[in-house]
Amino acid sequence: MKQDTDIRFGPIRKGLLEFLVLKIVGSRSVYVPDILRALSSTEFATQEGTLYPLLSKLRRESLVDYEWQESDAGPPRKYYRLTESGRSYLASLCDYWARINRTVENIGREPCSE
Amino acid sequence: MQRVITVSLNRIAYHFEEDAHRKLKLYLDDATQALARHPGRAEVLADIEQAIADQCRRRLEPGRTVISLAELEPALLEIGPVEMPSAGADGAPATDGAAAAARPATGLQQVSEGAWISGVCNGLARSAALDVTLVRVIAVLLLFVTGGAMILLYAVLMLLLPYAPVDPHAQPLRWLPSKCRELVLAIRARLSALTG
Repeated sequence: MKQDTDIRFGPIRKGLLEFLVLKIVGSRSVYVPDILRALSSTEFATQEGTLYPLLSKLRRESLVDYEWQESDAGPPRKYYRLTESGRSYLASLCDYWARINRTVENIGREPCSE
Repeated sequence: MQRVITVSLNRIAYHFEEDAHRKLKLYLDDATQALARHPGRAEVLADIEQAIADQCRRRLEPGRTVISLAELEPALLEIGPVEMPSAGADGAPATDGAAAAARPATGLQQVSEGAWISGVCNGLARSAALDVTLVRVIAVLLLFVTGGAMILLYAVLMLLLPYAPVDPHAQPLRWLPSKCRELVLAIRARLSALTG
């Protein structure tokens, strides 16, 4: 059954990944392994092959930005953070999410949390 | 003894054993294809190259300088297939899989997974939503009807049709499909070097 919901809700997870990444980047300036680690123990565990294209898209939409920082081990790293417009976009997303959540909880006869 | 090939990953030179280099090339070709409609493709590819370099270097035993399949394979597994993000302002269409996102407008592709030869029938079956066995039976019938000219048609399609990206999580390709893929990609690289 778990596998079943895993597959069925794949597109939902995929769509929500962007929201979660924005939330992680919004909490502090992070580099990709930080993001992977934050997601690794959740339903949204992902990989660099998915994350880099997503971050590039968010950057082109001017929602995130990055700066290079030297590292002790290896080449300089890209540290991502939210831009001003990213911050207001995330705020409206959080709002929207709260409303969706209320709708899901309240619609129909069987509440999710009993 | 293996031949060593030097490649530039995000503009730093790395040494790869020949078979690891082949695998790397397939992965990066698939990544390039998957990102065909991503406007930030060059940037993402540079990031991915850097990730591959970092992952391989971390796995390299002290004192070793040449990357082999032993380092590359787990590295690629950890990085995962390169996928287009779902819909956004970039106008990337929302799809439920990287393979679908990577499919070019024509839709015709060769599919190496589960292929017998190069994946032409397999790919035709997928894009026409037909059973692959049916397509193969038709192909074999045509082989007899056309007195062997079908072989030529197959070869042409094999050289022309793009390959669908291979999922690195799936079982490794069978011997013949993977050899065909390498051969065709090598011929295409040679051709584009000649014409470009």
